[in-house]
Amino acid sequence: MKKLILLFTMAVFIGFAGNETFAQKKENKVVCFKSNMDCADCEKTVTEYLKFEKGVKDLKIDHVSNTILVEYKDGKNSDEELAAAIEKKGYKADKITKKEYEEIVAKNKKEE
Amino acid sequence: MKKYIILLFILFPFLSKAQSVSGVVFSHEANGKQPLPGVNVVWEGTSEGTASMPDGSFTLKNKPGRNKLVFSFVGYESQTVRVSDNDPLEVVLQPNLELEEVTVIQKDRGTYLSVINPIQTENISGAELHKAACCNLAESFETNPSVDVSYSDAVTGAKQIKLLGLDGTYSQLQVENMPALRGLATTFGLTYIPGPWLESIQVSKGAASVLNGYESIAGQINAELKKPDSEEKLFLNVFGNDEGRYEFNGNTNIKVKGDTLTTGIFVHASDVSKENDHNHDGFLDSPLSSTFEVANRWKYNNHRGGMAQAGFTLLWNDRMGGQVGANSDMIPSVDNPYGVNIETNRVDAFFKSGIVSQDNHRALAILTNFARHETKSYYGLSRYDADETRFYGNLVYTQDLDLAAIHVLNSGASFIYDDFNEMLYNQDVQRTEKVPGIFTEYTFKPSDRLTLMAGIRADFHNIFGNFVTPRMHFRYQFADHYTIRTSAGKGYRTANVISENTFLLANSRPISWTEDAVQEEAWNFGFAFIQNYKLLDRDLSINAEFFRTEFQQKLVVDRETSSEFIYLLPSTEKAYANSLQFDVRWQPVKRLDMLLAYRVNDIKETIGGELKDAPLTSDYKGLINLNYTTNLKKWMFDYTIQFNGGGRIPRVYEEWMNRADIAGDIFEFSPYTIMNAQVTKYFRYWNIYLGVENLTDFTQSNPIEGTDDPFGENFSATNIWGPTMGRKIYLGLRFNLNYE
Repeated sequence: MKKLILLFTMAVFIGFAGNETFAQKKENKVVCFKSNMDCADCEKTVTEYLKFEKGVKDLKIDHVSNTILVEYKDGKNSDEELAAAIEKKGYKADKITKKEYEEIVAKNKKEE
Repeated sequence: MKKYIILLFILFPFLSKAQSVSGVVFSHEANGKQPLPGVNVVWEGTSEGTASMPDGSFTLKNKPGRNKLVFSFVGYESQTVRVSDNDPLEVVLQPNLELEEVTVIQKDRGTYLSVINPIQTENISGAELHKAACCNLAESFETNPSVDVSYSDAVTGAKQIKLLGLDGTYSQLQVENMPALRGLATTFGLTYIPGPWLESIQVSKGAASVLNGYESIAGQINAELKKPDSEEKLFLNVFGNDEGRYEFNGNTNIKVKGDTLTTGIFVHASDVSKENDHNHDGFLDSPLSSTFEVANRWKYNNHRGGMAQAGFTLLWNDRMGGQVGANSDMIPSVDNPYGVNIETNRVDAFFKSGIVSQDNHRALAILTNFARHETKSYYGLSRYDADETRFYGNLVYTQDLDLAAIHVLNSGASFIYDDFNEMLYNQDVQRTEKVPGIFTEYTFKPSDRLTLMAGIRADFHNIFGNFVTPRMHFRYQFADHYTIRTSAGKGYRTANVISENTFLLANSRPISWTEDAVQEEAWNFGFAFIQNYKLLDRDLSINAEFFRTEFQQKLVVDRETSSEFIYLLPSTEKAYANSLQFDVRWQPVKRLDMLLAYRVNDIKETIGGELKDAPLTSDYKGLINLNYTTNLKKWMFDYTIQFNGGGRIPRVYEEWMNRADIAGDIFEFSPYTIMNAQVTKYFRYWNIYLGVENLTDFTQSNPIEGTDDPFGENFSATNIWGPTMGRKIYLGLRFNLNYE
């Protein structure tokens, strides 16, 4: 019995710790897109689809500013393949730089 | 059924095909509506569209297959509007005050306490239902602090729930706001609703609204099933555990006519054919069983205020418990192994429809359901056969008494027809209940912070005469962080003396009753105090509640006065239940949800002239539930630990029990702990879950007494207070495909 509890604790620990360490250990690649999702449901569709693309570690998707930020493990995926995935769901994926992305997001915030 | 379908087709609106859509977009400003130019207008899911003109107007060509327009403009909330006819649209966009840098995807809330509902209600969402193996409704409460689930005996596998510490029969069970699984279905009803068919569950404590009838005493449990117009296209689930239980569930939604007419088809099959006897007492730890269920439901929604739903469910269930080697083909006899066999066939059907007036201030709804239930069973040498035919109808008219809907009146009429035929000990019992009733309920809601609800109903029972049910609810959020709720109300129910207690037949003493139906009557009072804060930027909710149920008349099960019989007698003597509960919900770490709960039960009833603790009921319950999901929810970890208090075991006193060395264990059981854990891995179209129930492998020792001579006078399988099944490891797979 004790063994089982130990095993379970270890599994949980690895789940927690592993997730954190892997995320920091290797430098991930970030790509940004300008899109045309427009609605909250569309945002959800893109999120649910992109999160299971290979190597995807984090997502920031917003239908108001129509921006997509994908953080992924270098080598596991590419900017082009991610753009193709967004287009497959029927939305535009115009690649923009991180700087442009931040400007759009900041501008959106200002216009409020 | 056919009739309903025909009706649905008649109700069809004759939609004319519009060539183009036009309208005006406004912005909502402090000084009224202002035309809003430059608004993006596109067909949903496409990039085809236009922008509004300087006067806010727009014209757009129809696009085949698309009927929703999305209006978006920076600084305003996007709005999706359904286009159904030629009339010009008028769209008002609200300024988006909380325009955030980026929308962070929030973790789905599993169970949360509603602060808006005037009745103390816990909502168990689909996310929560993923936390446990959750094979059927009975097993959906493992992570819930308010509902206790236990076996009622050691042979039939019947699951019993307790709310406020009171038996499940005192909670009104509803499926989509219609009373369901009553009468003969009380014993096994919770296992009749497969978990994967569920969309969400609402557990409300204390008096319920009078709209749903006079029945709820301790509270109400409402199960919402998956809707045919949801985005789910196909769902499949397989499940298996190391004790030989296998399940298959599947459902599909078909859009027969866009999102106007939709239908859902559901299938469930489960099987336990492995004989388990881990404690080597010669009896199966849980019965062998096989279940098959199919359901079909239809939904019509014209999106202009008219809606209708109809459907049916068929169920076949066969269970065989008792001694190892007993089978359903054998003839019950002392020469054969002791067996308990229950065969059930059941059909359920429902129809509901509603119309909302153009101005949104009046609505009329009709809710009806029908059930036919047939059971053939034997418990050792006792045969019990029964059938039930039931019809329920409820008509509700809602009217806002003023434009702002501060005063709302709900009134209507209901009718129950319930026909029972039972046979036990070769004695026939026949009964027909006919109960017409009328009700009215007034709601006062001057602001989002305050709700007062007062209702009254009168019912005219053909057996128990006329009676009145008053109920009252009050909710007040008197400060940003604090909400209080109080409720008071009366409840009545017909106790079906034999059918609700058939599990007592797994006992050497025969049951003895004076009346086959008893009307139970009780008052319930409740008070709750909810606090909501932000702690380290994450929601913290603290809830304290107290409920008291006071019986005027109760059916008392007396298993401790006579060594000859178990008495089932109506009693007007003192009986009450107090329940005090605290719970705290918070995220100590990002994406780690924590729930701590503690409840004290004080449940007493007069048995044999003496006020005693209700038997086989824990005097407290503690619960800790932890749920962690990784970023983007690809993994989910769950852990639940339940601390159950001790309680009293009902026994007929005998001289030898007084011996100092055994007295404690005979009349009382000790506190015990149960742990469950589960890991789920999500993929794009499917997810896999692995879990363990009862991790510490704790079981009640000697759940069955007198196993050496099951037909003898010491046999009893009904003094159950803890788990009869040990550790179970399970593995399951879910597959789902959505419409987009």
